Amino acid sequence: MSKRIVVDPVTRIEGHLRIDVEVDGGKVQKAWSSGQMFRGIETILLGRDPRDAWMFTQRFCGVCTTVHAIASVRTVENALGLEIPLNAQYIRNLIVMAHAMHDHIVHFYHLSALDWVDVVSALKADPAKTSALAESLSPWPGNGRVQLKAVQDKVRGFVEAGQLGIFTNGYWGHPAMKLSPEVNLLAVSHYLQALEYQRKVNQIVALLGGKTPNIQNLAVGGVANAINLDNDSTLNMNKLFMVKDVLDEISTFIEQVYFPDVCAIGAMYPEWLGYGAGVTNYLAVPDLPLDRKGTKFDLPGGTIFDADLSKVREIKTFDDPYFKDNVSESIAHAWYDGEWTKHPFDETTEPKYTSFEDSKKYSWVKAPRFQGKVMQVGPLAQVLVGYALGHEPTKRWADKALETAGAIAGVKLTPAVLHSTLGRHVARMVRTCVISETAKKHWSLLAANIGKGDTDIFNPPVFPKGEQRGFGFHEAPRGTLSHWVVIKDGKIANYQAVVPSTWNAGPRDEKNQPGPYEASLVGNPVANAELPLEVLRTIHSFDPCLACAVHTLDPEGREIARVKAL
Amino acid sequence: MIGSFAPVRVIGLGNVLMGDDALGPWVVEELLAGWDFPEGVSVLDVGTPGLDLTPYLADATAVFIVDTVKSDVPPGTLRIYDRDALLRHPPPPRLSPHDPGLTEALLSLDFAGCAPRDVVLVGVVPEKIEKRVGLTPRVRAAVDRAGAEIVDRLGRIGLPPRRRPGGPFAPWWEAAV
Repeated sequence: MSKRIVVDPVTRIEGHLRIDVEVDGGKVQKAWSSGQMFRGIETILLGRDPRDAWMFTQRFCGVCTTVHAIASVRTVENALGLEIPLNAQYIRNLIVMAHAMHDHIVHFYHLSALDWVDVVSALKADPAKTSALAESLSPWPGNGRVQLKAVQDKVRGFVEAGQLGIFTNGYWGHPAMKLSPEVNLLAVSHYLQALEYQRKVNQIVALLGGKTPNIQNLAVGGVANAINLDNDSTLNMNKLFMVKDVLDEISTFIEQVYFPDVCAIGAMYPEWLGYGAGVTNYLAVPDLPLDRKGTKFDLPGGTIFDADLSKVREIKTFDDPYFKDNVSESIAHAWYDGEWTKHPFDETTEPKYTSFEDSKKYSWVKAPRFQGKVMQVGPLAQVLVGYALGHEPTKRWADKALETAGAIAGVKLTPAVLHSTLGRHVARMVRTCVISETAKKHWSLLAANIGKGDTDIFNPPVFPKGEQRGFGFHEAPRGTLSHWVVIKDGKIANYQAVVPSTWNAGPRDEKNQPGPYEASLVGNPVANAELPLEVLRTIHSFDPCLACAVHTLDPEGREIARVKAL
Repeated sequence: MIGSFAPVRVIGLGNVLMGDDALGPWVVEELLAGWDFPEGVSVLDVGTPGLDLTPYLADATAVFIVDTVKSDVPPGTLRIYDRDALLRHPPPPRLSPHDPGLTEALLSLDFAGCAPRDVVLVGVVPEKIEKRVGLTPRVRAAVDRAGAEIVDRLGRIGLPPRRRPGGPFAPWWEAAV
C-alpha cells in the first residue's frame, strides 16, 4: 500500500518549501513541490524610480541579496541600451564570484553534508588512519593527526554532555549512512574549517561592496567605487591586495578540501550517481562579462534538451532574443487567478489561494518554462552547458573530478553520471573551482585596467519619455535568475523576477509536466518513512531557495516543525 | 579591516519589504542616525540571512539582536530573551538555507568554539507581516523603546553611545513612490 510523506517545516513561520511524496514498494512514485508563501514582492517596485530598484530587489531574499541587486541593474541598463565601464564589470564580477564561492561552501558543508556524514560515527575513527587517508587525497595542511584528534575530542565532549546542538536533526545511525568512521571524522573537521573560510570569502564582498550582506556600491550605469590609488577612502592598491590575499587563500581551500571531499563522498555513495536525475533539460545563461556591452563572457550559457550534449545551443549576449523570447510562466497549478501561461513582460500577479489539491492548484510558486519545456537550472546546468560548449576550465575540472572520484571508487566515471542527486553536488564543486580560478583572472584584469590609468566607473543613465522594456540575467549560485522591467516615463510600470528556485521548485504546468524537484524524487528509495533522509538528499542537492522573505523568531518554540508520515 | 567586526555587536534582523518584519533593520538605521557608537561596537543591519548569520556572530563577546518575535502578547510588546532561552528549543529540520537561523548559528559557533558569550534578543511582537513597506502604528511606537533598551544595555557594559543632534529620521525604504 502506498504511504504519503509530507516534509513540511512550514509550521514555524509561514512561507516554506513543502514536499509531499507518495511511497510504494520502498520507492517514491509521485511527488509534489509546494512553495507555501505568496511572494509577488515585485509589486512593491511599481511606480518607483528604476535607478532605485536594485536596493529593493536586494531585499527580496536575505541570502541571495547580491544576485538580485546585480540582475536588477543589468535589467535597467538593458532597457536603456546602456553600456558600463570595464572597471564596473570587473568589480561586479568579483563580487558575484565571491558571493558564489561563499554560497557553495556554506551549502555543501553547513546545509547538506550532514545528509551524507554521520557525526556520531566519527567517534569510532582512528585519527592516525584518518590523517593518512586525508594525505592520500590532498596536500591540505589542516588534516594532521593531532588536529583530527582534537576535533574528535570535541565531538565526544558534545555527545557525552548530550549537547549535539547543531546536529540535532542529524540522521546518525540511519541505514542509508555509509561512510567509514574515518571519512566521517574528516568531514566533521572540514565542517569546522569551512566556517572560517566562508567568513573569509565574505570579506571580499564587504571590501568591494562597501557592506555585507546588502552591498551599497551599485548604480544603474556602473558602480560607486571611486578609484584613486593614492587615497585611503577609495578603492586603492592596499584594498586590491587584500582582495587578492583572500582569493588566494580561498582557492587553496576549494581545491584542497572541497574538491577531494566531494569526490570522496561521490565515490562512496555510487548508487546516488544513479538516483535523482529527473528533468534533463538544462538552462544556464552566460555570465562574467568581459566587455562594456555584455557580448563576451568568461562563463558560457545555453540550453540542452533531453540530456543531449551534442545539440547544445548557446545563449550569446545580454540581449540574446533566444533567451528573451522563450521564457514563460504558467499558473495552471499555482494559487493565482486564472489558468494562463504568459511571457514575464505581460504577467500579472493576482493571488487566489484555494487549498492544497494534488491535481489542481498546490503552490505559490509559478512554473517557468523555456519554449514550453521544463528546465533544470543550477550548477549542474552550468557545468553541462559549459562542458558541451567546450569551455576549457569547466571541462578540465569536471574531467578531473570524475577521474578522482572514479579512482577512489575503482570504476570509470563518465559525464553521464552527473545527471543525478550526487551529480549536482559534484557539479557545484566543479563550478566553484572554475569560479575560484576565474576570480583571480578578473582581479588581474581589474588591476591591469586601473594600472593603464582607466578610472571610469559610471555612465549616467538617461530615461527618455515613453516606454522601454528590458531584461537582465545573472547566472546565480542556484542557477538562472532573470529580472524583467517595463519603464514608462522614467517610472517602473511592471517588474517580474524569475528566480532559480522557481525553475526548479515550480509545480506542474498546464500540460501536467512535473517540475525538476518533483521529477527528481520519483524512483528515489525511502528506507524508513519516518526518517525520509533520501528525500532530503535529493531536495538539498538543488540548494533550495524559497521563502526567504521574513525573519520572525519563535524563541518560545511552541511549534516544532516535523516530518509527517501519513 | 572591512568585513570584520568589533567585539560587541548590535544586529538588526528582518525584511524591510515585509511590513512589521522591518523592525530590526529600522531600529538599526535609527540608532546609526541618532547616536555615535564607541569603537568596539559594530551596528549592523543584516536583513534575513538565514544560515548566513553565522559570520556576523562569530568571535563576538556580546551580541544584541533586534528582531520581531512570535508571542501571544499584544503587538508592539517588547520581549527580552537571553542566550539560554534562545537555545532552549532545538532548531527544526531545515530544507532551505533561508529558514531563520539564529539558534543554528549559535549552536554551530558553539561547536566551533567561537560563539558569543552573551546574547540578548530584544524582540518586538509584530502585528502584520505581509508584503508592504511600513510598520503598523503599535510596532512603529516600539522602535524607540527597542533602541533605548539597546542604548541602555550598552551603557551597562561600559560602552555607552553618545547622542548625536539630528532631525526626524526615516529609513531609505520609506521614501515615497
